[in-house]
Amino acid sequence: MNNEKTLTIKRLVIFLVISFLPFIILMPILWNIYGEPIYTSQKENVAVVVYMLGVFGMMIPSCAHLITRLVTKEGFKNTYLGVHFKGKEGYWAASIVVKLIEGWAGLFLLWTVFLKDLSFGEAFQHFGMKDIGAYLLQLASSIIIFFPAFGEEWGWRGYMMPKLLELMPKPAAIVVGGIIWGLWHAPLTIAGHNFGTDYSGYPFVGILMMCLFCVMMNCFLTLVTEKTRSIYPASFIHMINNNLSVGILLMNFGSEAAIQKTDGINNIESFFVLTSASMVTAIISFILFMKKDKTETVSI
Amino acid sequence: MSGLLYKNLRINFSSCLLILIVALVCCAIACVAPILGGPEFMTENDGAMMLAVLYYFVFMMPSLTSNLLFESDESRTASAFAMSLPQCGKGHIESKYWYILIQYLAVLFITFITDTIIYGILDGTFSALILLIMIFCFRIFISSIEIPFVIRFGSQKGMAVKGLTFAFIFFLVMIYFMFGDISWLINSDEPLKAFMKWLQRGNILFPLSLFPFFSIALFWLSCKISVNVFRKGAENYEQ
Repeated sequence: MNNEKTLTIKRLVIFLVISFLPFIILMPILWNIYGEPIYTSQKENVAVVVYMLGVFGMMIPSCAHLITRLVTKEGFKNTYLGVHFKGKEGYWAASIVVKLIEGWAGLFLLWTVFLKDLSFGEAFQHFGMKDIGAYLLQLASSIIIFFPAFGEEWGWRGYMMPKLLELMPKPAAIVVGGIIWGLWHAPLTIAGHNFGTDYSGYPFVGILMMCLFCVMMNCFLTLVTEKTRSIYPASFIHMINNNLSVGILLMNFGSEAAIQKTDGINNIESFFVLTSASMVTAIISFILFMKKDKTETVSI
Repeated sequence: MSGLLYKNLRINFSSCLLILIVALVCCAIACVAPILGGPEFMTENDGAMMLAVLYYFVFMMPSLTSNLLFESDESRTASAFAMSLPQCGKGHIESKYWYILIQYLAVLFITFITDTIIYGILDGTFSALILLIMIFCFRIFISSIEIPFVIRFGSQKGMAVKGLTFAFIFFLVMIYFMFGDISWLINSDEPLKAFMKWLQRGNILFPLSLFPFFSIALFWLSCKISVNVFRKGAENYEQ
């Protein structure tokens, strides 16, 4: 193993340790303080903690990125902070549009699979000006969610993925990167994030599902980051994914009956249904990511 | 582009520092006030109004100092130099727009962090996220109107146009208050709450929700217009 590779591994390990430690330390402390998994708690003060944890926790990978560069004296080359539009407009547009479409597709799938006994009109009664306005305002508020999203992306796609791509072939890097990203969420998943705590195989199945979802997301996120050589499109994808998920669309447009019905659905089952649109995106992204690879080889 | 952005920062470093200091001081005050005011801060002391004013003031600073950004390049020598660069006048103007946007985003980030801290201090009873987005978009909207005039006719006339725009908006609001339906305000003891409720009505919420997209599109369009009028404007600059 040459020196360059060893140095990259060292830097990656330092980055991962700094990224993983805060949640590993913080989550058991919070569980101990509040006496229950914080993401399933119904208490109002815990909801505030969850919100703050979301905002500041998502910035940990960026801080880890910054600290690693400073500690290892790596410098600030290839930070992915530039903006390159020319010839990449499609990827920039996709970074906004694809996740919006995925959200609507997820809502449609939710209705076809879980809300079959309700007609579409019964399930989604709220499509008035007010509801569309609320949806657009939610989309506009993504400007703010951009900051935490950037916080994660600048760490994972802006630092970890380029390092992994240096160390291993593209498919392996995407899978390993996704798993690492999924495992980073593990303390949160144990505390009930995304899947709650009431499912068979808790918490291992939840962690596994999260890793699977992160591998899928990683395909699309890495594709746009590497093609645009910029971290902002990935941040847009992440912000829309977090801010306009199927759950939020359901709360906005769904009727009382539909919301009540979805409350009783098994989280793991709904995961497979709701992420099937993401799966399609992931497959297309993966093909595009590999396809360009071949072209590059030919051109050499 | 990064070189031009760096040039803008170097030329306007003092105003950039001023924006940062004002933002940090205002946000520190915004964080301390709820701690000192206790749980009654929002209900008894018009805390929401105070925070809104502080946030607005923070966003006003980049707008107040944006003229300095153009003033420094308002000479024939500077504009001729800008046109001779590899990025031409287009890159020069676009760098100004990017610089202003980055300033606003930095302020938005600082206020967002402040708002999150205040949300924690007040146990989740108050969040000004939507307000922050609206102020951000409003400032972008005003800059979009102001900058092409600044570039075409100089910073003095540009400032006058900004003043006129504010006066026009104020005039429209006044007309609404004089002749519009303000029963929602008259029949209420708490004007701010009544205003928030009014905003959530379908016929208000929908156009309001379009405003952020409109202002961002206008900012982009303004940049295109400024690029086109730059050469003409540069001819009027003094030596």
